[in-house]
Amino acid sequence: MTVLSRAPRPWLVFLALFALACSLAAVTVAKASFWSANCNYATPSQTANLTRDGGQTYSNVARYEGYQWGGGCWNNDDVDASWGDPPENVGTQGEGGDCSGLTFKTWRESTNTGDGASYYWAPLRNVHGPYDAASFRAGIGAANGTVYKPYAGVMDAFASSYHIGMVFFRATSGADQIVEAKCELCGTNIWLRTYRSDPAYGGVRRIGWTG
Amino acid sequence: MNRFIPCRTRLSGRASTLVAAGAGIAAGTAAGVVAVAIAAGLALGGSTGAGNLDGLLEVAHVPPLLTVPGEDVTLRYAIVCPPPGGDIASGAPCDGSGDVYIRAGQSGPFTKLALERGSDSIEGRWFVRVPAQIATSTDGFSYYAVLRNDATGASTTLPAGGEAAPQRSLPLRKAVTIDLGAHDFGQARHADERVVSAPWGTGADEAGLSAGKTGRIGPSSFDVSAGGAVTVLDEINRRAVRWTHGRAAATALDLTPGIDDMSVGPDGTIYVLDARDNGSNPAVRAFAADGKPKWARETGDRTWAKLEMGPQGPVVDELPSEEWMPAADASGPLERRAQARNGMSGRPLSDGSELVVLRVGTSELRLARVAGGDVEKSWRILSGTPLGEVQLTEQHGNAVVVVLKTYTEAQDQFLVLVLDGGGVAKQFSLDPAEWAESAPLARFRLSGSSLYQLGSSPAGFFVDRFDLEVNR
Repeated sequence: MTVLSRAPRPWLVFLALFALACSLAAVTVAKASFWSANCNYATPSQTANLTRDGGQTYSNVARYEGYQWGGGCWNNDDVDASWGDPPENVGTQGEGGDCSGLTFKTWRESTNTGDGASYYWAPLRNVHGPYDAASFRAGIGAANGTVYKPYAGVMDAFASSYHIGMVFFRATSGADQIVEAKCELCGTNIWLRTYRSDPAYGGVRRIGWTG
Repeated sequence: MNRFIPCRTRLSGRASTLVAAGAGIAAGTAAGVVAVAIAAGLALGGSTGAGNLDGLLEVAHVPPLLTVPGEDVTLRYAIVCPPPGGDIASGAPCDGSGDVYIRAGQSGPFTKLALERGSDSIEGRWFVRVPAQIATSTDGFSYYAVLRNDATGASTTLPAGGEAAPQRSLPLRKAVTIDLGAHDFGQARHADERVVSAPWGTGADEAGLSAGKTGRIGPSSFDVSAGGAVTVLDEINRRAVRWTHGRAAATALDLTPGIDDMSVGPDGTIYVLDARDNGSNPAVRAFAADGKPKWARETGDRTWAKLEMGPQGPVVDELPSEEWMPAADASGPLERRAQARNGMSGRPLSDGSELVVLRVGTSELRLARVAGGDVEKSWRILSGTPLGEVQLTEQHGNAVVVVLKTYTEAQDQFLVLVLDGGGVAKQFSLDPAEWAESAPLARFRLSGSSLYQLGSSPAGFFVDRFDLEVNR
């Protein structure tokens, strides 16, 4: 009885609550939002290279990392940390880019629409860029243009008023392997798509590929 | 011994306990936050902020499955990996290399050819020109490639089956050449019958539609039995719906809504080919006719093009191998390695032959029926209007039915060709009816002498039937 009624030793309490708080804090921070827990807002670095296969590599990092409407921040663990978030809600601040955010970062564009130079945005640098799919389709911005669809090649893209996906490679069927941030449940991946032959989509390109 | 002497010396029992509790919570919270920050920092990785990229190696290649006389044959590959040190910030290509193992014909030893590195990557930076004595072999040639990231030592084989299932290229020496000329978009055939029609919704005789700011997704695939029953993959409502004489019977399927493909086996097994957002390859999932899961197997490759029923079970057209791989055979489902070892360049048919398809350039389609490794019949279709994807190729008696897209910047139609030894036995065009998205190559099925089309409009989805009696 005496033992039970005695106050616990302070150092034991400290240790116990320290451990509990560690785990609770970790969970709380992790659940706060993917953006607040992981993403940064560092200044992008201007780069001389703008190769198509460099773009393939960059977009390949984003595969399996999810989709976030209005987003542009992901890591490289092949897990969508915010799968199943309510769609079309930028407030969910989850992992992944949306279609135009992925394209903007892969194409190394500037947030200044008058600047056609190339900038590296780290995967965890949260940025969407100033363009939506319709803007890309119209070729808006100094870095962007249009391309005759039959001639679109690796890392050119097909854009509609509601979606954009980049050509990863062509396929023997005449369809294309497209790397794209497709939807909240689908995430980001390489899929076979038929955008090339769909009049809803136009051919668009990054101006200034160096190889 | 109690090491927290300041607490003991300054405060009495209960008070010191409370302080210790507060300190524990505060310190623990700080430590927890720091732990998360460290984890995030580790994930962020060095100067590129991309983490450890050593394992990233992706490849792509369009095999010249069918060649024409005098054609210069160059094999081109994309090797997609980070530059040395994982420095994706530089935007530079990776430190890649590769070797092609190639031989004339379909048997014998392979000769090793090193890939060259080009200055441009729009069609693949690494390439090798096939030597003339191999490219012009009367039996064609076969090959596979080993592609590497020299900075990390990572490598991959393409096609995935390597020497056991090499890519095969065959010459078209006697192809029937068909020049379609410029396409007339004004002539679309009407259906002989609309066999299924349903509004969007969640009810028993409706079909799910996902419609938002990023596009519209409806039923993603369908199949038609020999008796004419239509099974629709209504994945938005997580079910397959079998339509018979206008009546719907739904079977719930444990699937995540998406854009997947489906085929129904002769025993009623429903095979669904899905793509998941979890870092693994897609999977073929088999469900009993009542929806009970039977088995699931990852595909050999990262990307699928189409699911069909082969002679012994479901077969999947996969990329980057660009081969049809069996997901199962008579003994049951196959593991990835077994799938890859049995890959084929053409779609396997029940009589042991294959249909090989190659869209070339902007407006050419090459097609061959291959039996015993030899081209039995072949066609070379040229168009004055750009050609898109080939939706369907099916044997139909002595003929082959082809459905492919033709398009301009503003218009598109499906072109249906019934091909025989004399050329085009029948030809007509169809409106695309692609208001809602479906699986990329799942809009047509051939059953008996009828072609079926899965279409959609703002009102709902439908399946139309077009009879194919040949009238030359």
